[in-house]
Order: sequence, then C-alpha cells, then structure tokens
Amino acid sequence: MGVNYQTVLWNRNKKIYDKWIILGMLIYLLCFIGITLITNPETSIETLIIRAFGTLAIALLHVILVIGPLVRLNSRFSPLLYNRRHLGVSMFLAALIHGGFSIFQFHSLGNVNPIYALFTSNMDYGSLTNFPFQVLGFFALIILFIMASTSHDFWLKNLSPKLWKRLHMMVYLAYTLVILHVFLGALQQQPSLWSISMLSLGFIIIAGLHIRTSLIESKTDKTKTEDIVDGWEYVCDIDEIPEDRAKIFIVNNERIAVFKYDNKLSAISNVCKHQGGPLGEGKVIDGCVTCPWHGYQYLPHNGQSPPPFTEKIATYNLKTENNKIYVHPEAMAEGTEVNPVII
Amino acid sequence: MKNEEDDFYVGYLDNTSTKTKKTTRLFVVFSLLGLIAIASIFALTQNTFKNSTFELTTSTKITGVYHEMPYPMLKVKTAENTYKNILLLGFGKSSANPFLEKIRSKTPKLSGSILSIEGNLIYYNGKTLLQITNDEKISLVEKTNPNRLPKVEQVANNMEFKGEVIDPKCYFGVMKPGKGKIHRSCAALCIAGGIPPVLATNDENNISEYYLITDKKGNPIHKDILPYIGKPSLINGKVVRVEDWYQLQIDVNSIQDLNQPSKIY
Ligand code: HEM
Ligand code: FES
Repeated sequence: MGVNYQTVLWNRNKKIYDKWIILGMLIYLLCFIGITLITNPETSIETLIIRAFGTLAIALLHVILVIGPLVRLNSRFSPLLYNRRHLGVSMFLAALIHGGFSIFQFHSLGNVNPIYALFTSNMDYGSLTNFPFQVLGFFALIILFIMASTSHDFWLKNLSPKLWKRLHMMVYLAYTLVILHVFLGALQQQPSLWSISMLSLGFIIIAGLHIRTSLIESKTDKTKTEDIVDGWEYVCDIDEIPEDRAKIFIVNNERIAVFKYDNKLSAISNVCKHQGGPLGEGKVIDGCVTCPWHGYQYLPHNGQSPPPFTEKIATYNLKTENNKIYVHPEAMAEGTEVNPVII
Repeated sequence: MKNEEDDFYVGYLDNTSTKTKKTTRLFVVFSLLGLIAIASIFALTQNTFKNSTFELTTSTKITGVYHEMPYPMLKVKTAENTYKNILLLGFGKSSANPFLEKIRSKTPKLSGSILSIEGNLIYYNGKTLLQITNDEKISLVEKTNPNRLPKVEQVANNMEFKGEVIDPKCYFGVMKPGKGKIHRSCAALCIAGGIPPVLATNDENNISEYYLITDKKGNPIHKDILPYIGKPSLINGKVVRVEDWYQLQIDVNSIQDLNQPSKIY
C-alpha cells in the first residue's frame, strides 16, 4: 500500500515467483536454441536471437493472459496474480530484445533512420500478402513498453487507478497486434499447420476463459433486489455470509461488499483502490478487510486503510430485521465512519 | 460464496493453504510443459537455412582487375585461365561506391586497373562478394589496362524469367533468410542504398541462377525497382554474360508482380 515507494517491495513469495519466471524463460530459450542448433544448424546467431525471443514473448503473453480469468474462476490461482506484473515486465524485455534486434538487423545501417525505414521500406499497406507486418509488432511493442514502464505502484497512484487500468487493458490490443504480426509475417514465409494450430488454440483458450468469466460476472451484476422498504434494499440473510467473509451486491449500479466479522456487519465499496480488485472476495484478517489481489487492507467500519496508509473507500449504512440484511444504497463519502450492525 | 477451509492467499504472508499451493504448483508445471511445447513447435517449423557464409570477423585481402558491369566488381584469378568476378559492396546497407571515392579521385580511370582490397567475404552457391568497410584498405597495384576487362557476350535478346528480386548482400550470406517477405524491408533498404538488385530464379530441379539487374542501357537501377523486391515476379529483358555473372537488362515498368507469397527460401 502506498505511503512511499521503493523500487520493489520484496518478500519471499515475490522472490519465489521471480525465480520461476527466470527458470521458465531459461528453459524456453534452451529448448528453442538447442532444437534449432541440432535440427537446423546453418542458422545465424541474429536470427536465432530474434526468433527465440520473439516466440518467447508471445508464449509468455499467453501465460499472462490466462492468469486473470483463472483467478476470477477459482481463487486458488491467486498466487499467480500476486506478482504478475513481473511476468509482464519480463515478457516486455523478451519482446524488446526481439524487436530491437529486428530493427537493428532489418532496418538499420541504411541511408534513412531505422524507425522511418520500418514504416516506409515496404509500402504495401493495402495488401494482405505483402503487408509490412513489422509495423504491427512495433505498435505492440510500444504498448508493452507503456505498460511495463508504468507497472510500478508509483504510476498507478499518479495516473489514477482508472486511467492506469485503462492503459493496462491495452494488453488485449497488443495481443491482437502480435497475432496479426505473426500471421502476416513469419507464418506467411514459413506456414506450418503446427504453428498455426498452436496459435489458434492459444486464442481459443484465452477467449474462452474470458468469455466464461464475463458470463459469470454479468450474472451477479444482474441480480437486483425487488424488496425495497423505505429506501432500504434487502440483500441477503445474515447466515448466508460466512464468517470473516463477504457477499457482493449491486446497489445503485455500484458493487458493494457486505462483510460479517466478530458478530458485526459492515458494508463497503467492492472496489479496491489499488487496481480495482474485488474486496468482497477478500477476507477480514486482523480486523482488516484484505484484498484478494495484492493484500491492500481497509477497516470495515470506515473504509480507511489502517495507518500509516491512506487509501479510503466508500462505506454504506446497514440495518437488520429478522435475520435479513438491508443496505441503504446511498454511498457515504470515502472513509466515513459507519457503526457496524451488531448481530 | 464457497469458503474453503480458510483458503485465502495473501502474498506477503506465509500462510498459503495447501490447496492453493497445489493449484499454483499445477499451473506452474503446466506452464513449463506448455513453454517446452511452444518452443519445440516454433523451433521445428522453421524452414531449413542455407549454408551461405558471411565472414563477419575475418578479413581477406584479394587482388584483381577492377571493373563495373555496371556495379563495382573485382575479377580475380582462381586458377590458370579461370577467373571469378567478385561483387564489391560497402558496409551495412551501402554500395561499394562511397568507399571507392578516394581511390577514384587518385586514379582517373579505375576500370581495368588492378586493385588490392581487404574486406569480409560473403559466399554461397558459387558466387562470392566482398564487403568493404574501410577505404584505407583499398590500394592500387597496377594502373589501368583496358585489355584486362572481362568479355561481354550476348545471350538472348528477350527472355522471360520467373523469380524474385533480392539484395545479394543478405541473400548470399549476411542474413538468414535473406529473401522473401521476412526480409523484404531490409532488401529494399539495401537496394535503395546502392547494393545491386539481383534476380534469383529457381527451376524445377531446384537449380538457381542469378542475374544482376540493370536498365535497358546497362546502367544501375536502385530506387525504381523497390516496389518489386522480395515477391515472386515475371521479368523479361536482354541477357548478357560477363564471365561467371549474367546481367539482365530490363524495363522496370514491365515487371509483373505475381501476387504470390514468396516461396523460394
Ligand atoms: C519493433 C517491433 C518489432 C519488430 C521490428 C519485429 C520484427 C519481426 C520480424 C522481422 C520477424 C520475422 C523474423 C524471422 O522469422 O526471421 C518477426 C517475427 C515474430 N515476431 Fe516480431 N517484431 C516486433 C515486435 C514483436 C513483439 C512485440 C512480439 C511479441 C510480443 C513479436 C513476436 C514475434 C513472433 C512470435 C514472431 C514469429 C517468430 C519469429 O520468426 O521470430 N514481435 N518479428
Ligand atoms: S487490487 Fe491490488 S490490492 Fe486490491
């Protein structure tokens, strides 16, 4: 949580995560380079680097893109989300080596600036067979660069979580560009049923997982209460909420989380101030609502992060009647103290 | 909401439940297997590379008769009465001409003189090229004598070829692959930079022949041919032989783009 920023707040789990990232990348590179040297030894070192890192980047991009929906579908995948930004930065570095070497190899040492050359040395923008596929890779790399360079919490805070989130949604645009980059480039020159099927399968897996999660989430978003008494909306019965946990509801078109802990009930906004994680899927630990994504904490009765942290979220008024919980749909200002309902 | 035995992960705490640990481990194992599969498929579906060579780190000194047909070349004696014409190129995506300026200013008639040049060899399929990286490494051995110039023979007045326009520097060794779509932008830059365009053809028996492309009068072409590089095309023109090289004299506007993906690798 943000009071001041260090380069990376290290802890044991992040270190383990990073070790596996490095190991995975090394295994990939050894495999690609080893197999190429054995089966196709006349390769050149530049081509080997360009291809090893380009394909590594697209492989990592797939891993990154399946983590999000998997965690939404089953919280046991949560550890994978915790340090996903390092996976993102590693993928960017692989893509940068690929793009950098390609620009040096194919577009430099000519009589014009390499970036200008990238856009102008093949002008068949109107043709599919001849399309300058490098341009697509270039834009993807720019997006990945923007994401990697703003991945730190410093930027998250300074750009505002909303803008940051929007920026990071561009990963889907980058993915689309990369797929087109490969289909209009390398795959045209060396088409193979294997690689085409593999990339198609990757697309089906990613799209399938995303569609599933969004179907499930839009279902919860649609459940609206009919039972409104004097402006108070019935949400659920007390015993439907497990101890130290919450249930998520939509009131006034906002997602809220109603927590049960220590024989008390409190309602807060469901949206974490960090990256918009679903607080209602979090847990009360040491008296604090803890976000399932990266562990930001909030006090349930006032929506404030415990000192020295300064995050604040909206709170809501609750009341109970015969084991039934009612919410007043109007959000209180962020950080407003609301007395918990004693049960 | 399912509440598994207290299954809640917090990254900075060491209280991860066994089930979460198991799921994570499973994901990691699957990802590693996935990475190995992806690496293998990408590696195994690459086209076979040619055995072309670029001696990037070794320089070789060669001595021969300088001439232009119309691109700078050095005619080198390889055995008694056998000669090889070595195409001269500059550093990066540049022709040899900027590197020849100095010696040209000192030697008014360069064609027909004997030069000694140190550079990096590029060779494949019987053709040899030399990259010059330093104009200090060119020296005059003997003054010009027109009798030393190679003989030019007419082969055909109008012949049609199916092939791909390539840049010989990359094609004959500097890059793999040095042709086709992947390499197209690079080839365009090379040829724009003065490297001679070459037509590479491939017959049914996979025998390749190469033709240095010039305009109808035998003058160099560069910019005009850029849109046709790296794609299968139909080209016709007059064929001339200069010892071990062919020259194809064409009208650029008559090149027909076959609109096919590049096949020859
Ligand atoms: C400036 C940006 C980029 C340039 C100039 C570029 C250029 C190239 C070139 C020339 C190739 C063909 C190489 C060959 O097969 O010999 C290629 C292929 C490829 N690129 Fe890129 N690329 C860029 C960005 C990216 C990015 C951001 C990614 C993925 C995250 C990517 C992924 C790939 C993949 C998977 C291939 C096919 C495999 C291969 O042949 O390497 N590229 N790219
Ligand atoms: S979204 Fe990161 S901690 Fe809540």
